[in-house]
This record gives sequence, C-alpha cells and structure tokens, in this order.
Amino acid sequence: MRSRLILSILAFGLVLGACTDPDAQPSAGALPVTDSEEFQELLADSESPMVVNLWASWCIPCRSEAPLLTEAHRQLGGEVRFIGVATEDSQVDAEAFVAEFSMTFENYFDRTGEVKAWIGSLGLPTTFFVAPGGEIVSTVFGVIDERRIALEIDELLRR
Amino acid sequence: MEFTLLGAALTGAFGAWLGLRLPAVRKRAASIERPWDVLVGAAAIGVFSGRVFEMIISGVNPLTNPFDIILVRGGVDTVAASVAALATLVWMFRSDLGALDVLAPAALLGLAGWHAGCLWTGSCLGTATGYDWGFTLPGSTIPRHATELYAAAALGVLAVVLTRPQRPFTATGLALASAGAVRAATQPMRPSLTGGPFWAYLGAVVIGLAIVAIGRMPRRGQPGVSRVR
Repeated sequence: MRSRLILSILAFGLVLGACTDPDAQPSAGALPVTDSEEFQELLADSESPMVVNLWASWCIPCRSEAPLLTEAHRQLGGEVRFIGVATEDSQVDAEAFVAEFSMTFENYFDRTGEVKAWIGSLGLPTTFFVAPGGEIVSTVFGVIDERRIALEIDELLRR
Repeated sequence: MEFTLLGAALTGAFGAWLGLRLPAVRKRAASIERPWDVLVGAAAIGVFSGRVFEMIISGVNPLTNPFDIILVRGGVDTVAASVAALATLVWMFRSDLGALDVLAPAALLGLAGWHAGCLWTGSCLGTATGYDWGFTLPGSTIPRHATELYAAAALGVLAVVLTRPQRPFTATGLALASAGAVRAATQPMRPSLTGGPFWAYLGAVVIGLAIVAIGRMPRRGQPGVSRVR
C-alpha cells in the first residue's frame, strides 16, 4: 500500500514536471537596456494607453501573471500598448524568462533599478495603467488577475 | 478568480455557517456529523485543487514553486475547483447521498458568501452600465454593475427557497443548477479577457436538472414500476 502511494506521488511529480520547460532558451533578440530618463520619454511619447508591468525572473508571483499578460497582449495589443520592464535581475535570466513564457510584447531591462525607483514600484510585480502621454491612472501592487487587468484596461479605454 | 483567498474564504465560511442555522436546515442537519466541517473541508479542497490546476495550465510547476499555491489572486480554475469540491462531498457522503440535500442550501449560501467576499478587496464591480444603480471605481466617473453582489444576492435567495422540503436529490440538483445559472447569467457583466468557462456553467445547469429528474423517477416497488426478474 505504502509503495503504491510513493509510486503515485512520484508519477504525479513527473507529470507536473513535464508541464514546464526548464530548458527554455533565451530569445534571439537581447532585451534592450533602458534607464529612467529614456523610459519616461517612452511613456510621454506614446499615443496609446499603456500597461506597464515590472517583473523579475526570480519573482514567483511574476511567473503566475506572465501567461496572463501575454494573453492580454494577444487580445488587446491593438488598442493598448503592453510594456514589460525586467528589474533587479540579470539580463540572461530575464531573457530566458521572456523566452519561457513566449512574451510577445515589448520588454526592457532596467539594469540599475532606476526605472523601478522613478515609477514608484514598491515591490515586484507591479502593474501600472498609463494614459497616452504618460499619466499613471492606476497601480496594482502584487500579482494581478484576469478580472482586474480587464477592468483597468476598460477604464483606460473609456477615459 | 478575482479575490484574495482570505476575505472570500471568511465570508464563504460565514455563509455556510449561516446556512446551517436556517431553521429548516438546522433540524435536518442534526443527523449529519459535523456538517460545517464537511462543507468547509470540501471548499478548501476545491480551492486548493483549482489553484494547482490553474498553475499547471499556466506553466508553473507546483512542486518547484510550492509557495505560489497560496497566491490565489494568480488564479483559481473555477471548473476544477467546483469538480473537486463536489467530488469531495460525494465521497464523504457516499453511503448516504441523501445528506447532500440537507447541505445544499448551506453550500449555496457559502457560495453567496464567497461572491460577497468582493467587499473585502473592492473587486465587486464589473462591466460599465447606463443604469442609475451603477457604482464607480474610486477616481472614476464610469458607472459599473456590482456584478458579484448581484450573484451573491441571487444565490442567497435561491438558498432560502431550497430549504423547503423537496423530493430526494431535488435540492442537490437545483443547487448545482442554480450555481451554474447564476454564474452564467452574471458572466457577461464580468470584465474578462477570455469570457470565462461559460459552457461549463451551462453544463452545471444541465447536470443539476438531470439530477432533479433522476430524483423524481419512481423507485422500484413504487406504483407504476414493473419488476423484472
């Protein structure tokens, strides 16, 4: 009975292990490095509303929301600009993260952490909903869910 | 899933507790051993299973990221959670499935409490509305449906209706059908990227009504049923 239980647990673990791809390789394109000045300009020059997500490859909640952001970009990328910023991370790990979750929206690398400090992120992940021109309309600290992201984007688009 | 676990779990547990204290339920629930523990246990197993399932389909390994399981805002798969909770209840009462009829109103009130848990986290509002009763998000001027409160109110009323004595399995089937119908009816008022598992909600309605129909079928030995040897 006990050996059956152990075998079942091992089999379950193998199935779960097969669900993720630990050998995901970084994408061919390197993550562009940005600083607070450049990033501020990027937001100010945007004519579309934006969703700005700060993340790091070591951050467990960021892993939870990465597939959601990719899906949101797939569905709403025509109306809203999605921008990811990897911060407090190594560039190699951040690029591997982008490849692992097939993040198709634009991502930048905040090498020194100054973008995170400038934008006012207290921890990771943080998601900012930004109006065209760079005004931050709302901020979600911590992991974001499908409902909240859809609601905040709806608010952005109806402004 | 849009709430943090704690707020919704507390109001959900309170709803179930309240449901077991409804006069019509209280009397019949006396024959069941620790009914509140059973309901809360089934709900906890449901939420845990739904979270693990959601992690797996999102590509997050629960074994290598065990702490992610508590990040319920990251998502709980509603269908997996419901199936796991129902399976737990059926397993617990496998020798006396009639007990499910007694617990059905309390379970529905618990579900109403789970929806009302939006009050803890400010996630009650749904899609925009032109009706006067719409509420606005802080700093916004756009009126919105209080979607989760609509669902909670509808489930609460249905739970009280189900306390009336019914034929066997009718309360169980109607509770399942009600939960699916309320979710399907309010789903268009929820902001969503994917539209949610709408067909699963309709599936719950069909299965619930099938259970009611089975409960109404004459039993062996009752008039109108011939015995086959």
